[in-house]
This record gives sequence, structure tokens and C-alpha cells, in this order.
Amino acid sequence: MAVTLSERAAKHVANFIARRGKGIGLRLGVKTSGCSGMAYKLEFADERVDGDLEFVSNGVTVLVDPKSLSYLDGTELDFVREGLNEGFQFNNPNVKNECGCGESFNV
Amino acid sequence: MNTNFFELFHLPQSYAVDLQQLDSAYRDVQSQVHPDRFAMASEAERRVAMQWATLANEAYQALKKPLARAEYLLKLGGVDPELESNTSMPVDFLMAQMEWREELAEAVSSKSVPALSGLSSRLQSEMNAMLSRLGSTIDQEQDLAAAALLVRKLKFLHKLDEEIENALDAIG
Amino acid sequence: MALLQISEPGLSAAPHQHRLAVGIDLGTTNSLVATVRSSMPVVLPDEQGRALLPSVVYYPAEDKALVGFEAVPMQAKEPQDTLVSVKRFMGRGLKDIQTEHLPYRFVDAPGMVQFKLKCGQKSPVEVSADILRNLRERAEASLGGELVGAVITVPAYFDDAQRQATKDAARLAGLNVLRLLNEPTAAAIAYGLDNASEGTFVVYDLGGGTFDVSILRLTRGVFEVVATSGDSALGGDDFDHRIYCWLLEQAGLSQLGGRDSRLLQQKAREAKEALTDKLSTQIAAVLEDGSPINVELTQQTYFDLTRHLVDKTLMPVRKALKDAGLSTDQIDGVVMVGGSTRMPHVQHAVAQYFDKPPLNNLDPDKVVALGAAIQANVLAGNKSGDEWLLLDVIPLSLGLETMGGLVEKIIPRNSTIPTARAQEFTTFKDGQTAMRVHVLQGERELVKDCRSLATFDLKGIPPMAAGAARIRVTFQVDADGLLSVTAMEMTSGVQSSVVVKPAYGLTDDEITRMLKSSIEHAQDDMAARRLSEATVDATRLIEATQAALAEDGDALLDADERGIIDQALQQLSAAIAAQDEARIRQASDEASRVTDEFASRRMDASIRKALSGQKLSELG
Repeated sequence: MAVTLSERAAKHVANFIARRGKGIGLRLGVKTSGCSGMAYKLEFADERVDGDLEFVSNGVTVLVDPKSLSYLDGTELDFVREGLNEGFQFNNPNVKNECGCGESFNV
Repeated sequence: MNTNFFELFHLPQSYAVDLQQLDSAYRDVQSQVHPDRFAMASEAERRVAMQWATLANEAYQALKKPLARAEYLLKLGGVDPELESNTSMPVDFLMAQMEWREELAEAVSSKSVPALSGLSSRLQSEMNAMLSRLGSTIDQEQDLAAAALLVRKLKFLHKLDEEIENALDAIG
Repeated sequence: MALLQISEPGLSAAPHQHRLAVGIDLGTTNSLVATVRSSMPVVLPDEQGRALLPSVVYYPAEDKALVGFEAVPMQAKEPQDTLVSVKRFMGRGLKDIQTEHLPYRFVDAPGMVQFKLKCGQKSPVEVSADILRNLRERAEASLGGELVGAVITVPAYFDDAQRQATKDAARLAGLNVLRLLNEPTAAAIAYGLDNASEGTFVVYDLGGGTFDVSILRLTRGVFEVVATSGDSALGGDDFDHRIYCWLLEQAGLSQLGGRDSRLLQQKAREAKEALTDKLSTQIAAVLEDGSPINVELTQQTYFDLTRHLVDKTLMPVRKALKDAGLSTDQIDGVVMVGGSTRMPHVQHAVAQYFDKPPLNNLDPDKVVALGAAIQANVLAGNKSGDEWLLLDVIPLSLGLETMGGLVEKIIPRNSTIPTARAQEFTTFKDGQTAMRVHVLQGERELVKDCRSLATFDLKGIPPMAAGAARIRVTFQVDADGLLSVTAMEMTSGVQSSVVVKPAYGLTDDEITRMLKSSIEHAQDDMAARRLSEATVDATRLIEATQAALAEDGDALLDADERGIIDQALQQLSAAIAAQDEARIRQASDEASRVTDEFASRRMDASIRKALSGQKLSELG
């Protein structure tokens, strides 16, 4: 079981953490909300929480709580540019339906 | 909002004030009430926040400077120093005033910076002496009537000091 | 598809609830928009990757206005219809500005000057709104959604009329103004955060058309402005103008046509920029009549030509230090802001004055926008703001006209905002029933030397003997530095008030009308979107009010008050059910109106609770 970061995503995350001046890595998760049932959580991580699963991908530490992992297993976080907009995108193989916005999904 | 400024900052009501404590209490209050905390709130909430932040600024100004603080304590004690109307002063103080003013006029007409700054520093030490007397009059002797007279005198000297500053500006 | 950004721990937004907020530096020469992405402030570039948007707008006879780089070449071709440095005219009347050397057809409109253009007449507010709209569209394309709000920067030394004009322009551009932020303060935020600094700093901000200096005390997350000063009509433009005048002299020219004048001004600016890192530059141009100009300008000559302008900036610096009660050796650092601080003799003069090298490790063109973005992010609620407080001041004293054309100061300059001050006046004639209140801003003693902000009448004073009426005039300055004035006769309670903007700027009605007409021009599919937005807002209002009623309704409202609110909520629910946008908006306004007092009481109670809670923690 694993969650990974694309090389591009890892580069940006490392850069953001350096500029932010603190943080041990990235926290990924899901919460139940949004138009299609589930929503992604993408946050800086300042500390580990009991039970966290820890992955290191392209040099960046990724923390995931065990509940979320079953929805995120196999996911790759990518960093993409679309016109003027840029940001992170979850490539999640577990997803059946996705809200058009990409922020909400169900499995 | 009829809030006691000392209570707002959780400080004892006295002329002697720990300025560091005042500063940090002021910041604590502002960090809870400042409109920046409520930028996304409704208009009614933003208005109330503005009123509280305004009150905190007013309270801070009233307690920060010794003379303003003394005036505020007189007001709390129900003593009106009658700053505008009551100009009756002891004769010796009025005489001293006249001497100060003559010196100022001379220094201005001769455009003498040393004379003006000498005058200014003597005035400062006179004011400082009066301020410390004001402290004991309010806090120890608790004689607000005597304090009111000192406040009136200090206001006179303050005005004189401003005139010296202006004269220095005009020359410099 | 929306792209995600990294949030602070615990602050992930629900889907479609991202609070997108930007900071905008609306500059004399260039404007920028910035935001905080994944906790990092960044300037948002255009499609070509350019961060700066030249503050230039060209108005053709019919088509849409051109803004920015597209408008720049039009300066030489159609100078009368290509507006540059419009910030200089914000909140200004014709008598305030020097119109010679400017190619525009000015119209002396009441209050603010206007421009006569091929497409009609425009005010500086509308021109600024076109620049802001361009930046808003750029931001929304870059962030993939609508903005919840923007922080717009203004020179610290802007007076009330100029601030009000800026806020009007933002509203006209469809922006929700979270705060007007002083430019040097914005720069200090960007610097303070970047360098984790503590101490007392001077921000020296020489822009294209304005000069500001602010002195700030930075202590753990608190940015406290202690004094500010400046000159709202001194900037890089004046340096260009010195070169321009020198050019005319060298070439033996006198009065030039609009196009030639524009051409040479552009050449002057290019020469100035070249002399930042070159010892001399060649200025070459061909005038309309075919005559060529070709002269060499050395850095030394340029420095000599403009030395008095550099010296002029040091006067406000001295004044601010004096107001703050500080000497140069008590200053921990000097931050340089604004493109004009790139000039070597400016850097040198500041270094010499403070006896230390100025800080310039952030791009002076971008630092203001970056600071504004950081503040916008905090105000929008995307950052937990516990250790963060910004305390700014008003730059100029506010006062009233009294007998004999004198100004009585009510609020002195450098007062921390928000602030309020009341003063009592009386009638001077027997049976006087009205009193004129004339509001002024400035440091001088005579009315004619200060800026007139507004005049209004307090009417209906009951006839009394001279000196018996007690008229209390209250000045309130909000956190944007904007003034409102209330006058009240204390024995009778007769009251009158103004938000100070009648003499300059647009009325609220005018703005609403202009916004409406721009919306009506948009397509029909807007209607569906507006209905859905109105429904969402109204539903949220009902939910929030019901939650508040459940919590505090019994404690804070009597039965009558409760009944009025319940009825308004029912009306609103009915309007939502009918799916009628106009009705929903109307019912929402009504519900907001009747819950206003309740919301105030709740807020007040919650602040009182928070402040007393603090006492317990201090005792413990």
C-alpha cells in the first residue's frame, strides 16, 4: 500500500515547505463532504499523529491517517498547470465518480 | 460603552502604571476585537468590532501618557480640572510663567538655538518634577483637588513646551 | 477542474468553499496582483508570464478599452485618449493638478476632475476600475474561481478623498474590498515575514507618483505603525520630467504638440532606467516635423538634475522620525520600496542619512503586492491569525472649520485607527436653528490651506440663547482610514451625519447604477448563476440566523423583536421557494436589516466574554 508524489509535485512541496520555514512534510486525507460524498484534504504537516502511516516519495514525507488510506491507496499526487492556473491534482485509482470540479469524489 | 479603561486592560486603578503590562494588555485586547479579525463577518459584527477597537485605542492613549492618565483618574474621581474655564492660578506660578515667556520671546527674536534648547531642557525637568509630585498626590495622598491644580499647571507648561518646539522647527 | 493548494494544518476548506483572496498594488506606473498559494505569497503573472501590468488605459471611440501593455504603444499615437499615471488624479479637482505638459482634455467636474475622450467622459475612478478589473480577471483565471475579496494598497499619505476614490474604483471593478492597506505597511509585512525581523524599521517608498515614509515597530506578529509622512505628488514621474525639461533645453525646443511631448517623456523615462546601471546613455528621437534629436546624458548630469528631488524626500523622513520621537541611530533597518528606489543616488542618499545600507533583498516592484496578498489571506480567514495584528495610523490630521476661517483639529495625524473623537461646539447667535459643519484634512491652521472633505448642515436645532445649545460633533475613522462624521444637538437629540465623500468620488447610488449597467450587458446565462448565488446566500443567512436564535435568542431578544425576525425569515424562505431572484434579494436585505441589532448584541456579548476570559487566564 502506498501513496506517492510525482517528481514535479515533490519539487514544489519541498520548495513550499522551505519557504514556509517549518513542517515535516505533507498530510493527505479524505473527509466526508462535498458534492460527491468525499473530499480531499491537502495540508502541511507539523507533527505526526498516533497511527499515522508514513511514506517517503521523491524525498518528501507524506503522512496519511489509516482511515483515509483505504480511499487513497495507489494515489499519485501530481502538480499541473492549466493556463494561468496551477496546483495539485490527485490521480486516485479508487475513484468511481468525480464531481466535475475534481475536489470531491466517491469510491 | 461606559467601560473603565483600567478594567478593560485588567490594571489596578492608579497613577503608577507598568507600561510594559499596559502595552501587552493593549495588544491582547486589540488582537481579540480588531476589525481585521472580522473582515469576513456581517456588517453588524464589523461595526461592533470597530467600536471596540476604537475604545481600546482611546483607552490606551488615555493611560499611556502620564498627564492624560492623571486627567482620566480625576474624571473617574468626579473631579473636573476645569481646564477651559478655570484659569485662577497661584501668583507665584503666574510670575514664573511670565518669566518663561519673556525668555522664550527673547530666544525667538534672537533666533538662538542654544537658548531655546536650554529653555526646553529646564522646562522638561520642571515638568518631570511636577509629574512625580502628581503621582504621589493621586496615589498616596489621594488629594484630587491638589492633583487638579497640578494638572492645570502642567497643561500650561505643556503649551509652552509646544511653542518652544515650534520655534525650534521654524529656525532649524 | 479545480487544482488544489496546500492548506495550513486543520484549515482545509470544504470543496467549492475556497476563500480566494488577493492583494492588489494599484500603482501610478504599474499595477500587480498577488495571492498566497500553499502558504507562499506569489505575484500572479499574465499569459505571457509578465508580473507587471502597466497602469495605462487606451479608450478607442467604440470598442473595449485596452489595458496594460496593449495600451502602451497608443501613448505616442493617441495621447489624448491614452491615460497614464491616472492615480495622480484620484480624488483631485482641476485646481489641484498641474495640467501643462499633459495631453489630456480635462473637464472640471464637481469634485473630481474628468477626462474628455473620443468615447465620452471618464473619471479617474472609472479608469482605475478598468485596471482593477483586468487584474481581477487575471486572478480569477489563475486561481480557478471567484474572489471573496481583495486588499487594495494606497499610499500611506493618501487623504480621505483619495482613499474613498480608490475604494469606489475597486467596487466598480466588482471587487469586495477587505481592506485598504497602506503601501509601506504592506511592504513591511512582506519583509517582516520573510526575515522574521523584530525592531523599529523605516519603510522608504518612492513610487511612480507618490512618496511615503512609515516607521513601524515589529514585535512577534504585531506590526505597529508609529508614524507616517510623505508627499502624495512626488515620484519617479518627477525625475522623468526633469530629464524631459533638460532635453527641451538641450534641443532648443519650447512648446511641443501632444505626440512629441509624449514621445520625449517616454525617452526620458527610458534614459532614467538606463542610468540605473550605466554611466551615460544616448537619447535619440525624431519629432513629427522630421527634426532629429540626439544627445548624450551622463549619470552625473542626471544626478545633478534631480538631486533636489532626492533631498525633498528626506523632509518627510525627518518629520516622521520627529513624530515618532526617534533618532536615526534607533532605527534597526531601512526597507526600500518602489521602482524609483533602484536609482543609485536615492540608495546612496538614504544610506548616508541613516548611516546604514538599506534593505533591498525583495523586488521593490513586487513587495507591496506580496504584503497585501499576505494580509488578504489572513483577512479571508485562511490562516489562523492568533499571532497577527496590524495597527496602522491616519497620515493627516482631521478637523473642523471654526470662527475666522481657522481649523480646529479633532483627530491628530498618526492616531492609531480605528479611532473616534468628539468635540462640543455651541451656537453663536440667539435663536440659531442650523449649524454648518465643514470637515477638513491637513496640518495647517487656515481653512484655505487644508483639504476640504465635506460640508453638511445640522438643522432643526431648537431656538435657544447664543451659547446654550450643545452640539457634539463626532469623527469616526474606520480601519480603512475612512472618515464619517456625526453631529448631534445634545439637549434635543437632533442628529445629522455624513460618510465623508460628497465633495469627491461617486455616491453609492452612482456606483450601484454603473455596476448594474455593466451586469446588464453581460449574457443571459448570468441570470441563472445569479439566482443560484442568491439562493445559496439566502439559505446560508437563514441557517446562520436560526443557529444564532437557538443559542442566544431568548437571552438577547424580547418577544416582539423575536417575532419580527421570525417573520422576515419566513418571507425569505417563501422567496427561495418561489425562485425569484429579485424577491430573494429583497427579502434577504430585509432579513439582514431586522437581524442587524441582534447580530450587534451577539457580537458585543461575545467580545465581552472573550475579554473577561482573558482576565481569568491572567490571574491563573
